Amino acid sequence: MSTPTSTPQSLRRRPPLRPAAILKNLTALALAAVFLFPVYWMFSSSLKPQHEILSKDPVFLFTPTFENYPTATGVDLFWTFVRNSLIVTLGAVLLALLVALAASFAIARMKFKGRKGMVLVVMMAQMAPWEVMVIAMYMIARDGAMLNSIPLLTAIYFVMVLPFTIWTLRGFIAAVPVELEEAAQIDGCTRGQAFRKVIFPLLAPGLMSTSLFGFITAWNEFAMVLVLNKDKEAHTLTLWLTQFQTAFGDDWGATMAASTLFALPVLIVFLFLQRRAVGGMTAGAVKG
Amino acid sequence: MKRRLIAAIGVAGMMVSVAACGTDSGDNGDSSAGGEKTLTVWVMDGSAPEAWIAEVNKEFEAKHEGVTVKVETQQWNGIQEKVTTALSEDTPPDVLELGNTQTAGYAVTGGLADLTADKDKLGYAGWNKGMLASAELDGKLFSAPWYAANRVVVYDKAAFKKAGVTPPKTREEWIDGLEKIKKSDPDVQPIYLPGQSWYVFAGFLWDEGGDLAVKDGDTWKGALATPEAVAAMNFYKELQSFSTAPQDKDEATPQQSTDIVPKGDVASWIGLGWEAGGAITAIEEAGGKADFGYFPIPGKTADTPGSVFFGGSNLAIAERSKNKDLATEWLALAAGKEHMAKYAEAVTGSLLPNNDSVQFKPEAGSFAEAMGLAAPVGKITPVTPGWVNVETAPNPIKDYMTKVLKGTDPMKAGEEADKVITERVNQE
Amino acid sequence: MTVDSQGAVDSASVDTPRGAASQTPPPASGPGEAVPPPRGRRRMPSGILPYLLIAPAVASMAVLLLYPLVKNLILSLQQLNRREMITRETVWIGVDNYTKLLSDPDFWNVVLRSLFFTAANVALIMGLGTLIGLLLNRLGKAMRLTLSLALMFAWAMPIVASVTIFRWLFDEQFGVVNWLMRTLGFAGYEQHNWFETGFSTLVIVTLLVVWGSVPFVALNMYAGLTTVGSELYEAAKMDGAGGWRTFWSVVFPNLKPFFLITTFLEIIWVFKAFAQVYAMNLGGPDRGSETLPVYAYIEGLGQQHYGLAAAISILTIVMLLAAMSFYFRLILKQEEEQ
Repeated sequence: MSTPTSTPQSLRRRPPLRPAAILKNLTALALAAVFLFPVYWMFSSSLKPQHEILSKDPVFLFTPTFENYPTATGVDLFWTFVRNSLIVTLGAVLLALLVALAASFAIARMKFKGRKGMVLVVMMAQMAPWEVMVIAMYMIARDGAMLNSIPLLTAIYFVMVLPFTIWTLRGFIAAVPVELEEAAQIDGCTRGQAFRKVIFPLLAPGLMSTSLFGFITAWNEFAMVLVLNKDKEAHTLTLWLTQFQTAFGDDWGATMAASTLFALPVLIVFLFLQRRAVGGMTAGAVKG
Repeated sequence: MKRRLIAAIGVAGMMVSVAACGTDSGDNGDSSAGGEKTLTVWVMDGSAPEAWIAEVNKEFEAKHEGVTVKVETQQWNGIQEKVTTALSEDTPPDVLELGNTQTAGYAVTGGLADLTADKDKLGYAGWNKGMLASAELDGKLFSAPWYAANRVVVYDKAAFKKAGVTPPKTREEWIDGLEKIKKSDPDVQPIYLPGQSWYVFAGFLWDEGGDLAVKDGDTWKGALATPEAVAAMNFYKELQSFSTAPQDKDEATPQQSTDIVPKGDVASWIGLGWEAGGAITAIEEAGGKADFGYFPIPGKTADTPGSVFFGGSNLAIAERSKNKDLATEWLALAAGKEHMAKYAEAVTGSLLPNNDSVQFKPEAGSFAEAMGLAAPVGKITPVTPGWVNVETAPNPIKDYMTKVLKGTDPMKAGEEADKVITERVNQE
Repeated sequence: MTVDSQGAVDSASVDTPRGAASQTPPPASGPGEAVPPPRGRRRMPSGILPYLLIAPAVASMAVLLLYPLVKNLILSLQQLNRREMITRETVWIGVDNYTKLLSDPDFWNVVLRSLFFTAANVALIMGLGTLIGLLLNRLGKAMRLTLSLALMFAWAMPIVASVTIFRWLFDEQFGVVNWLMRTLGFAGYEQHNWFETGFSTLVIVTLLVVWGSVPFVALNMYAGLTTVGSELYEAAKMDGAGGWRTFWSVVFPNLKPFFLITTFLEIIWVFKAFAQVYAMNLGGPDRGSETLPVYAYIEGLGQQHYGLAAAISILTIVMLLAAMSFYFRLILKQEEEQ
């Protein structure tokens, strides 16, 4: 494993293998194992035949079977669920970024009456107990004939992630030195241009990591879609995850296969955004 | 996760494994084309064999030009909230399946269409009287009985043979047999019985002449702090002592049929037809061979088997349905004699159809045969709108059972449970 | 949202090259103001523009958040059971739902339990998250990547799966933990019931919640740390400060905004956590592990008393607001300092 080849700064110029360093690495390994184990257990269960999933002596060595995956993806309307999940998630995230960008710019950079009030509102909105508001939301949607609506679901998720997005983006904007913006304006940019050409590129990593949070929230949402969208055509993937526990018994293999597939996009987005975010950061700094 | 309701509702499924009952019939169901109508039918997961319902719909669509039947399979998990909200909508499902213990609770809300006037069309006269009880409220008909089922003891023939035990007729013989199995092989559980199999307990309670709740003037009250309940619970405790199953779980957590029995070392267990079927499939998938025998839960005396809970489902029509007439037609067809006969065949008798004259002749030694023996002593939970509240998690009867099994005085635990039952059963 | 579904706000710099810290300008970071912004920021007086900019946010929150909240408040004054829901009748009962709740000792028990549960979880999450964040900062590149990946995996796991897996791990008959205890030679784990009491159930729930929430804190903590210039550490070290003192004199003051906001978010998330608590043991045994959201679900939605459920949710909001008012003041004060 890793002998600390790329030594952290605090350890530079020291011989590589001191007891303290070993202890540190061992702790890190143990922690990694603890955090990974449930994930590993999910994944390995998805590759087991049903009778090996729960057993008195856990099965660590087994011949993997892939049949749980086709079972999971072979359900009726699977691709409709995928499409719906993508629409509501991406729609909510993009909308939130757009709206939050404007709001957080105002909060971070401008002086206006009610600014503190706005900060307070955003904080309180973050506390909204969405799960218990499901019935109120349901009745509004029912009486407005908006049940089974993908656009409504997108809008709800958008507002769910909005406070957090504003909150986070505001921090990112505040971290961009005002001097850069002013310099651009001196160079003859309008305020809008200064924002587009200077702040926005510097903000890219912030936008991306912020969108990650929104992505996860919307992607995992369960309570709203369960009550609002009864029509199967309007279901999302979170409902799909629970559909393998049926009256005939629990198909744990399929449940875990579905969960693994469900987690993949999040991981991919995570890894992707991470690389891009870092790249964006340096690019912005160079341009700035 | 309310999936434990699966057990609570005690719905019966079938022996044949149906992976996913069709979400819709034929092409994607939606027919918005001019003049065409869609009849939406909600059936619960596991209730309607695919081929059977497809045939019903085919016949129905042939009779009613321009009508498409859209069948939507629902999960038991979280169904109450779903049905309640659906019945409040402008376009509810036209026909929907309801558990027999839930029907009264919905009938009283006005959400179900009153079918009293259509009795003859629906074939009321031929319906099984036991099943009918849950479909009516205050003399009005709110649903058509569909099917029912009850639990029997499923046993591993090899384990019984090894211990020299034959299917018992009385409780004493039952206990004796379990003792023998225990002695013959200490690694085998003579019976797998978790602490919260409350429908099994209800049967014992009925055997003693007690009930879960009794009518007291205009209201109901819990009846677990009674000598009958103490006696029933004592027997349950005796039986449960032969099992290493958790005392604070029911038979669905983990699922006894697919997660426990297939691992072997279980000589017998109490289950429904779909559970036996599920266990057989699971054992075969694991490369084994199931050799199950079945007998009714033994009674106090040899002449009658023990009382059992008669679980089942009814088919109702939503009051707000835009197609009530069509829905009634569909109901008359599906729950009618001809298709119910086919239904009984499709499920090889593991579910009892609503009409006694079309019962499937079960094979000797089958689950259906044992079930049929106990059916005459089948009972249902109190028919009152508030009963459904009692069964909802956390079910006070289950908590009561766990407490008694862990040593609390049955009268004391019964009083605590009665308080909750009384409060819940009198709410609509 | 549920605790498991929190994003790492800024995992952006998890993999950042170490040099990032000394870069100028300081990279964007952490939630809110993880980096104290350069002092002396000027804010421009701007007329109507700021109002235009916040208008879309305010409008959408008003329509999709405020309106449902008001509707919720209205519902809490009604008797809205199965029958009223289906018939769409409106039955006003004033504050009956509230008096019923507030005079119920069970309700107060649940409130107390929720408070303890939240306090214990948040303390553990913040403590462990901070320690792991500090550890990440001091690890070599390969190990850091390994540990951050493990954290990310944990955090990406869907909640349905994580609750199921934790239930399995601690299952009485088939639990991996019981197997492990047996294998290690401990007696009494043949069929140990980890969910014997409400307390023990909540301990397992805590494990799950902490496991699911630590990645968020740890990754953000690390991201924040990369912005604390390494010179500061070196300086502290030269002064002969130990790890403990370095933390309190260098790290904590620099990351105070981070701790403030993260704790705020964790309190909200843990207090509202539902699926983890309910799915673990349905609030049992004998209702002993019910927290406020679970109680709301069982008494309100389970029994189909939607008006009562609305009242519980309103009380939840009021309690959260009361508990958080201290926080609001702190954060607003910090606003002014900028």
